[in-house]
Amino acid sequence: MDKEVELRVGIDIGGTFTDLVALDNDGNLVNLKVSTTLKPEEGVLQAFDLLMKNYPYKISSIIHATTLATNLLLGQRGLDLPKAALITTKGFRDVLEIGRQRRAELYNLFFEKPKPLIRRKFRFEVPERIDYRGKVITPLNIKSCKKLARKIKKLEVESLAICLINSYINPIHELKIKEILRKANKNLEICTSYETIPEYREYERMGTTVVNALLLPKVRTYLKNLEDRIRERGIKASLKVMQSNGGIAEREIVSLKPFTIIESGPAAGVIACSYLTKLMNIERALSFDMGGTTAKAGMILNHLPEFTNEYEVGGKIHVGRIIKGSGYPIRFPFVDLAECSAGGGTIAWLDSANTLRVGPLSAGSNPGPVCYDRGGEEPTVTDANLLLSRLPEILAGNLKLNYELAKEAIKNLSVSLNLDVIDTASGIIRIVNSLMSKILRVVSLERGYDPRDFTLISFGGAGPMHSCPLADELSIKRILIPLNPGLFSSFGLLSSDYTHNFVRSVVKKMGELKKEYLDEIFDSMLKEAIGLLNREGIKDEQRSFFKFLDLRYSGQGYELQIPFKEGDLENMKELFHKRHELLYGYSVRDEEVEVVNLKLISLGSLEKPKLKKMEESLYKDGREALKEKRKVYFENEGFLETSIYLRGKLKAKDEIHGPAIIEQYDATTVIYPKWSAKVDTFGNLLLERW
Amino acid sequence: MVDIITAEVIRGALTYTAEEMGITLRNAAYSPNIKERMDHSCAIFDKKARLLAQAEHIPVHLGSLVYGVKEGLKKIGELEEGDMIAYNDPYISGTHLPDLTLVAPIFYKGEIVAYVANKAHHSDIGGKVPGSMPINSKELFEEGLVLPPLKILEKGKIKDEILQIIERNVRTPKVTLGDLRAQIASNHLGNRRVLELMDRYGYEKFLEASDYIMDRSELLLKSRIEKLPKGSWEAEDYMESTGVEEKRMKIKVRIDVYKDEISFDYEGTHDQVKAPINAVYGVTLAGIYYTLKCVIEPELDINDGAFRPIKIKVPLGSLLNPIPPAPVALGNVETSQRNVDVLMRAFSKFLPDKVCAACQGTMNNLLIGGYDDIRKKFWTFYETIGGGYGARKGLDGVDGVQCHMTNTMNTPIEVIESEFPLIVTRYKLRANSGGAGKWRGGMGIERAFKLIAREATVTFIAERHKIRPWGLFGGKEGAPGELYLIKRGKKVRLKGKCSIKMERGDEIVIKTPGGGGYGEPKERDKKFLLKDLEDGLISRIKFNPNS
Repeated sequence: MDKEVELRVGIDIGGTFTDLVALDNDGNLVNLKVSTTLKPEEGVLQAFDLLMKNYPYKISSIIHATTLATNLLLGQRGLDLPKAALITTKGFRDVLEIGRQRRAELYNLFFEKPKPLIRRKFRFEVPERIDYRGKVITPLNIKSCKKLARKIKKLEVESLAICLINSYINPIHELKIKEILRKANKNLEICTSYETIPEYREYERMGTTVVNALLLPKVRTYLKNLEDRIRERGIKASLKVMQSNGGIAEREIVSLKPFTIIESGPAAGVIACSYLTKLMNIERALSFDMGGTTAKAGMILNHLPEFTNEYEVGGKIHVGRIIKGSGYPIRFPFVDLAECSAGGGTIAWLDSANTLRVGPLSAGSNPGPVCYDRGGEEPTVTDANLLLSRLPEILAGNLKLNYELAKEAIKNLSVSLNLDVIDTASGIIRIVNSLMSKILRVVSLERGYDPRDFTLISFGGAGPMHSCPLADELSIKRILIPLNPGLFSSFGLLSSDYTHNFVRSVVKKMGELKKEYLDEIFDSMLKEAIGLLNREGIKDEQRSFFKFLDLRYSGQGYELQIPFKEGDLENMKELFHKRHELLYGYSVRDEEVEVVNLKLISLGSLEKPKLKKMEESLYKDGREALKEKRKVYFENEGFLETSIYLRGKLKAKDEIHGPAIIEQYDATTVIYPKWSAKVDTFGNLLLERW
Repeated sequence: MVDIITAEVIRGALTYTAEEMGITLRNAAYSPNIKERMDHSCAIFDKKARLLAQAEHIPVHLGSLVYGVKEGLKKIGELEEGDMIAYNDPYISGTHLPDLTLVAPIFYKGEIVAYVANKAHHSDIGGKVPGSMPINSKELFEEGLVLPPLKILEKGKIKDEILQIIERNVRTPKVTLGDLRAQIASNHLGNRRVLELMDRYGYEKFLEASDYIMDRSELLLKSRIEKLPKGSWEAEDYMESTGVEEKRMKIKVRIDVYKDEISFDYEGTHDQVKAPINAVYGVTLAGIYYTLKCVIEPELDINDGAFRPIKIKVPLGSLLNPIPPAPVALGNVETSQRNVDVLMRAFSKFLPDKVCAACQGTMNNLLIGGYDDIRKKFWTFYETIGGGYGARKGLDGVDGVQCHMTNTMNTPIEVIESEFPLIVTRYKLRANSGGAGKWRGGMGIERAFKLIAREATVTFIAERHKIRPWGLFGGKEGAPGELYLIKRGKKVRLKGKCSIKMERGDEIVIKTPGGGGYGEPKERDKKFLLKDLEDGLISRIKFNPNS
């Protein structure tokens, strides 16, 4: 008898669709799409019911990516934040509002700061002070704490953040305040900054703590409710949630630290790439994910994505990067992605100097591009691709594309530009490609890496259509297009591990630090990590721990993360100098090196999904998959006779030469002249430039 | 005909290259000035030294590179492949001595096709005080080392003797040389990127694109100017102290709009003074370009084309166009702000919906330093402090923020305390400081420091301690700045520009000015008044003085 079929299920809630992917133990992938519902859990449950009806197998794990946290903070309609308050050191209640004093837009006289998440009226101060060494210089005034506790109760505050100056080094006052407030009000949610993220720099720590306090009640209720209702369907698997660090955690654990799931969705695509690079032994890869409204780029080195600690929710983006001061800072390792407003639905327009521009506005999926014939009037990137004959007549979901409407829309632009319609369409593609090439530069060249050594992994509904010219722009020679480009992100949910991050700031010269002191701090983090792993039921052999120090030259404003070498600080200093040299071109060996943070990452590794092996092709030239030939436009050559293939009929070892197009349900791959594509044993397309 | 799509792609690539140069500079820099505060700018010029693209993080650099690169190249004469020049002479470079400018020619097939340049604020360039911004110098020579345009790289090789001169003349040689290396790296990167563009598109296409980029800005600005009311408008405002003595010095501008041109005439502006508040011509230009971009077209790409419809006349020997050897250290940080105020006020007379009331109008420069007897070493701490932003039509002024010509970040309290013998005793919005109005001015900031070392010297440089930030159309003035020293419980008011000794336990309290209001206060929506009252940003007494 066959062994029992088990499904791993990933659920990703997007603005338009809720995607469910299920993978069985043989590597068969199933995708179910339902419309996203006003109450997001309803859509999820609909998808589950659909799954159970069509695939009545045991569900072994459920991994969820959610944008609830972001939507809550950005004030999406129908989502209200709880009434929250902040307690801080006397003299500092405006730290939250002043931020870093910087304005996010230089030349806009009508700019506004992001609205403070807790208004002044609800920001309270208590007399107390701790100095930078952790010494109490003004004792906590217990009487005023008690008075405040009564006041906060009277105000019917639901959630409270506590963040005191220098508490990262000594939390005694924060914990005492928590105790007093807890005594006075049993139902109050309380987040101290020390327990949330004990990292130095008060504004960022305070902001993160406040965000956590604001998210906590709603996120906890949502996740608990969702798990309960899944359980009602007889599914025993617990609910796991994707975090911004690309790792998963049990529902119970993220419910206490909801600030860790802000960028829950986007991390998944990069995790899928990491997994693929490991499987195929690719050392250096760039991920490129292009959908309907945005394109995102990331870097994967030695099978690991890059992380950033500088993230702001709701921040404005400039050339791929978030502008400092434009959103709410969160201190947590986020999978580092550069982003731009470029997708299939991105609108092309003329600015006041009669210059052709693409984006940032998008027609989204409703009304969508003009050619969808759903009332869209402004030409989009998809309309341009259609005019260049790159798209099939009918898209996924039986959507018939209207060529004449698209042509009419682009003609309006071409008349003003005094260009031919096709040249205008090709212009739109060239401009959107040049925008997207910048985000690839941001994640590679800006970090000192030469993109020529990288493989570009291109996915998302629109990614494979644009990858050849993007690769050319950066002189990249290899492109990898996964089997299901449109579902690849969701696949990432199924290939991630349990990951938890811990941090303690010390800010001390290396020369002044004793080994025992560092060990003590690492041990306390280790204890915390083990506690979480126990709760998640991770076995010993699945566990691994990684220690790091954040180092800098004394007085510098930025730190570099260096792997911690047990008892060998000298060696670490040397590693730091070398890394500084690599990144910034120089080192200063006679300068003192400072330890800013101690970091611990705990990993609970899970068995990875199997990929299905593909049958080998008989002729190895794709002839069995050939659908038709038609003229397709390419930027440098104009219209060329081009072979169109069906991806579903391609087999392992098939090799196709550009110009060619490969069509599939969820994406279209355009292979430019001078490029060729080979199908590997897992059905991935490997494109190479000759 | 120029291929506009290619030109547009090249335009995007050049703008991004300037940005990437900026990121390289910041990443490789050593001092917090550049790393945290981003006090640097990068740009690309064509072979005639006309600006093509620029990435500036603080607007005061906006005009100075345009002016400074042309002047610097004029002085140096012939350049060869691999050469790079460095200079900081304010009368050539267009800002003050701490800003070091580096320019390199780009050679393609043996001839100069373009230039890359960058400018960064160094934490010290010598002179009579740490930080090189003395408040009482009478000549440029007191402000630090003056470098005329010199080759710092010759045929790709660093000239050690130049580095040695710098090393022996500054207080923080390691930091300064580290930052200088970052500047060299930034230009190298820019050079590489521009050559990649040449290889990809060819020199001809690059030239076509350059013309297109500049013409496009020119056309855009002209089309905007054409739509403006035609006529002539004047405004004036005052500086309140030279640094050496307290007196009112007028800054006056007349704006004329005719057809598709706009002109700025500063006739009537006070003569230059023997004190550091003179602003070199490049700084004056920066104020004009900044205000114009804000008021007329925030999306305008600043390049040579954008300057063509603008005519500028600044009397030689005046506060805004001094002749050597007048000192200029504070022109950048203080006079530059007043220049914007005057321009904004003139614009308010014909574009009332596009402007803001006066912002705090100062940068509140704070320098504290001395010998730290706890850590046993010398230290200097420098920062600028935000204040109230002016109210706009339909919007209150922003509270506690950097205004106009600067945009540097604050230093976190926990960073200050772990590195310097200081305790920050408060950091808050200054209630009641925003000017009343239908739309109120932004609130200033109150920030105070207690010294825990034996002694230190404090230098504070601010304006608007006497002459308040003005309101518009019935809006009231913002509160003026205030500075106090608290010594053994006794509070003493200090002047807006001063240099004093502090002892252990002394506390220095800085209150920054609020922004001016916009429109009649009696027209203010009660809802907003109530909210400010509840939030403690205004007190009942101020809310209705007659009740």
